[in-house]
Amino acid sequence: MEKSIRKYWPVFVLPTMAAFTIGFIWPFIWGLYLSLCKFQTLKKVTFIGLSNYTKVFEDATFVHAFGFTALFTIVSTLTINILAFFLAMLLTRKARGTNVFRTIFFMPNLIGGIVLGYIWQSLLNGLLSKWGMPLLALSAKEGFWGLVILMGWQQIGYMMIIYIAGLQNVSPDLIEAAEIDGATSWQVLKSVKIPIVMPSITICTFLTLTNSFKLFDQNLSLTNGEPAKNTQMLALNIYETYYARSGASWKGIGQAKAVVFFLIVVVISLVQLRFTRSKEVQA
Amino acid sequence: MKKKLVSVLLTASMAAAVLAGCGGASAPAAAPAAQEEAKEEAPAEEKEEAAAPAAEAGAGKVYYLNFKPEADPQWQELAKAYTEETGVPVTVVTAASGEYETTLQAEMAKSDAPTLFQVNGPVGLKNWADYCYDLTGSDIVNNLTSDAFELKNEDGSIAGVGYVIESYGIITNKTLLEKAGYTVDDIKSFDDLKKIADDIQARKDEIGVKGAFASTGMDGSSDWRFKTHLANLPIYYEYQADGIDQTDAIKGDFLDNYKNVFDLYITDSTCDPKELSAKTGDDARNEFLNGEAVFYQNGSWEYSSLAEKFTDDEIAMIPIYFGVDDANQGLCTGTENYWCVNAEASDDDIQATLDFINWCTSSETGASCMANDMGFVIPFKTAVESPNVFVKQDNEMTAGGKTPVSWNFTTMPSENWKNGVGSALTAYAAGTGDWDAVVTAFVDGWATEYALNE
Amino acid sequence: MAQQMTREESVRRKQQSINSVITVILSIVCVIWMYPILLIVFNSLKVESAISTNRIFELPIGNAFNGFQNFIYGVTKMDFMSSFWYSLFITVSSVALIILCCSMCAWYISRVTSKFSSAVYYLCVFSMVVPFQMVMFTLSKTADTLKLNTPYNICVIYLGFGAGLAVFMFTGFMKSMPLEIEEAAMIDGCSPLQIFFRIVMPITKPTTISTAILETMWVWNDYLLPTLVLDIKKYRTIPMDIQYFRGSYGSVQMGPMMACIVITIIPVIVLYLVCQKHIIEGVVAGAVKG
Repeated sequence: MEKSIRKYWPVFVLPTMAAFTIGFIWPFIWGLYLSLCKFQTLKKVTFIGLSNYTKVFEDATFVHAFGFTALFTIVSTLTINILAFFLAMLLTRKARGTNVFRTIFFMPNLIGGIVLGYIWQSLLNGLLSKWGMPLLALSAKEGFWGLVILMGWQQIGYMMIIYIAGLQNVSPDLIEAAEIDGATSWQVLKSVKIPIVMPSITICTFLTLTNSFKLFDQNLSLTNGEPAKNTQMLALNIYETYYARSGASWKGIGQAKAVVFFLIVVVISLVQLRFTRSKEVQA
Repeated sequence: MKKKLVSVLLTASMAAAVLAGCGGASAPAAAPAAQEEAKEEAPAEEKEEAAAPAAEAGAGKVYYLNFKPEADPQWQELAKAYTEETGVPVTVVTAASGEYETTLQAEMAKSDAPTLFQVNGPVGLKNWADYCYDLTGSDIVNNLTSDAFELKNEDGSIAGVGYVIESYGIITNKTLLEKAGYTVDDIKSFDDLKKIADDIQARKDEIGVKGAFASTGMDGSSDWRFKTHLANLPIYYEYQADGIDQTDAIKGDFLDNYKNVFDLYITDSTCDPKELSAKTGDDARNEFLNGEAVFYQNGSWEYSSLAEKFTDDEIAMIPIYFGVDDANQGLCTGTENYWCVNAEASDDDIQATLDFINWCTSSETGASCMANDMGFVIPFKTAVESPNVFVKQDNEMTAGGKTPVSWNFTTMPSENWKNGVGSALTAYAAGTGDWDAVVTAFVDGWATEYALNE
Repeated sequence: MAQQMTREESVRRKQQSINSVITVILSIVCVIWMYPILLIVFNSLKVESAISTNRIFELPIGNAFNGFQNFIYGVTKMDFMSSFWYSLFITVSSVALIILCCSMCAWYISRVTSKFSSAVYYLCVFSMVVPFQMVMFTLSKTADTLKLNTPYNICVIYLGFGAGLAVFMFTGFMKSMPLEIEEAAMIDGCSPLQIFFRIVMPITKPTTISTAILETMWVWNDYLLPTLVLDIKKYRTIPMDIQYFRGSYGSVQMGPMMACIVITIIPVIVLYLVCQKHIIEGVVAGAVKG
């Protein structure tokens, strides 16, 4: 059978691979090369070696964006997962209205990042002005929490669905057995539920981690980096370096930043997967 | 059942075959095209798609990336009129405000790049000099009223032409000012302005306004009025004092005056300074139109929207008195709009673009549209006189011996610098930042950005 | 015995009363959860001056009420309807193409053991973690050179950049499928194409749905890729339009912007309510595979 399928490779694999080459492989390799060049459009590309990379780390805005993104990622990953898990626990108790609640909590996930940003900008600015506090564009702290709230609103429902599926795998017998043994509900949670739900936790942390780290649309529309680039995250910082700064040297620096960004994402993904997967094995 | 299956299979395999065909055709195309790019831009390939009607005639086409959002509807009309008259396709795209550079960078990298674009002066030119067609000897240059509107490269070639002269100052609602017991002639200096504005602010309920000045909107769509236009004044006076016209290290000698004017704007205002960061240019204009504010800092380009509500006698533009040389100070007049023709475009497109800008400035339809509909004063011999009352006032002031303040913000180091000053001003207005941060952004930011541009 | 019954009874009673407390609390939370959407709907019905920061919470009544003016303006002046159709067309064509091509590719990978198929597989996994900023400039340039910059063929770009996730999900599922049915069909004389469309496709339906949902949410809401790739002289998608409300005429038109946001999210919400069972199952299936 394998042989006859093999003969059909132009039908099965070629369309995807052709598009994949156009849409990913070639731009990726070319991007790597351009990070070593100085260029504005592609009419004049000069190879300049690694000097773009040294400039990346001299750029204070990039370093700041890195710190901001890291902090944001940690805070939002924790809040989203804890709240989503908590909601999932409540929704698996078979209380009345569970289906309606599930539907509503999931809904914001369908709204796109740009739209979300403008919805929350209006709402948060309205609240802040009511309370006589400085508006979003003025305070990096508010911008930060604004982003956390926005991300939470968007993602909690999604993660909650995954946790519900995980919790439904926990058999009631097991819990009953633990309770008969005299386990408190905290112990049941810690020693029975969480280990069984561990695969869900792995996937949810992976998703929230990468989503938060690569956040762009929401950042652009909610704060656009204001005040003074203090709420600018890495993706937006790269975009701005690339397109909003004039002058030939910036494009290369932007591309170099993108390569650094890519490497960071790879490292984070690998570390996270290894870490949570190891927990799964123990369980 | 079997028949149905067979037919499903047939369609599916056909679909698959078609897709495979597509994929197969595009894959080899990708590699050579990309290789060519590395060396040089691929020579204009035959455009077989019906989407490019211009290609079939071999004649040129025009793609104008417009900088001025307020004139977008008029440009669209004018482009349509030109196409009807000559058959040459003209596309006008207007960048969202504050995103011109972003859009230009993205569009210039495409194969179908803008043939006509704008730079804002010498600093802007530096980034795009390689892409500017030398306009020396062209009709559009010969038509200029003065060679001051030529934007030259260091080697003397003409890279761009300024196509519109504008003035800005403090637009004043004369009716409301009279209601408060003053006339425009009472304002001769910054001290006068402050005294009157404070008085109006104190009696705002009696006069029936919300504040003396329309809100100093610091939203990203409108903060250019302060981070760029108002910031021109300290730069102008410093250049005057030092006898220079550009520097890579500003000293900020006149920043105290800048602070005084800005303080006046935000104190005698229609709203709480805390809310300014979300206020837009629209809000300010609406306040002025609704008679909620007496003063409104903006420029001659606002004439067309204000003329819908006010007659020419009801509004006036006064200089932004700065407390330095108030007796001689006129309006701020100049240009930051230079047309450049993309040198990388095909010869046909370059010719079509030159014809188009020539037509806009010299034909009856074009020149009258620019003057009457857009309200522009254009520095060309064939210009039609603009009905713009602010322009007339500028001419009167200059004739009366006042010195117009030139536009030195074209020498500001970068957009990034402006944004830095803008953020600092916004924070200062809201009380979350102090004035020192503005000074730092202004003085230190200038040096940093100039160094980065090198 | 009877005593034990009552104890169980009391435990159940206690559970029930806790559950009703939970229902009440969650109902309140749900109202808060929906509030941002309601706020936008209200504001889309208000006049421009009543949407400013300090009046955002006012209801659309009295002077503030503007009827459907914002909707009419937004739809006619901004040419919003054509953006809507472009977005719809791009989403449908891209997702259909991704599903078809990637499921075929995934089947090949999962059935053929060779260096080539594992190379393809690992490239796809690799592409999932690469941020878009890494390729944004070169991808838009490539698309421009190949003239893949219209709503009608941008699906090729989406296939290329979205292939990673889809191939990964399909492969995960197909590797767990039993080979026997396929082998039996092969012995009956079916060609691989017939086997794929008659046997494999129906079995992979759950994965197809979850992949389709993930890709739809991505393509429909995507902002940066179409902004950089599409020919902006002619085409705009919905997220681009919303972004253009900021300042395309020198100002922010809050009213029409709110109206267009409402037009954008209503169809999505309706679609969601209609097929929420599939969507939620799809999310779960997708996550478990990952």
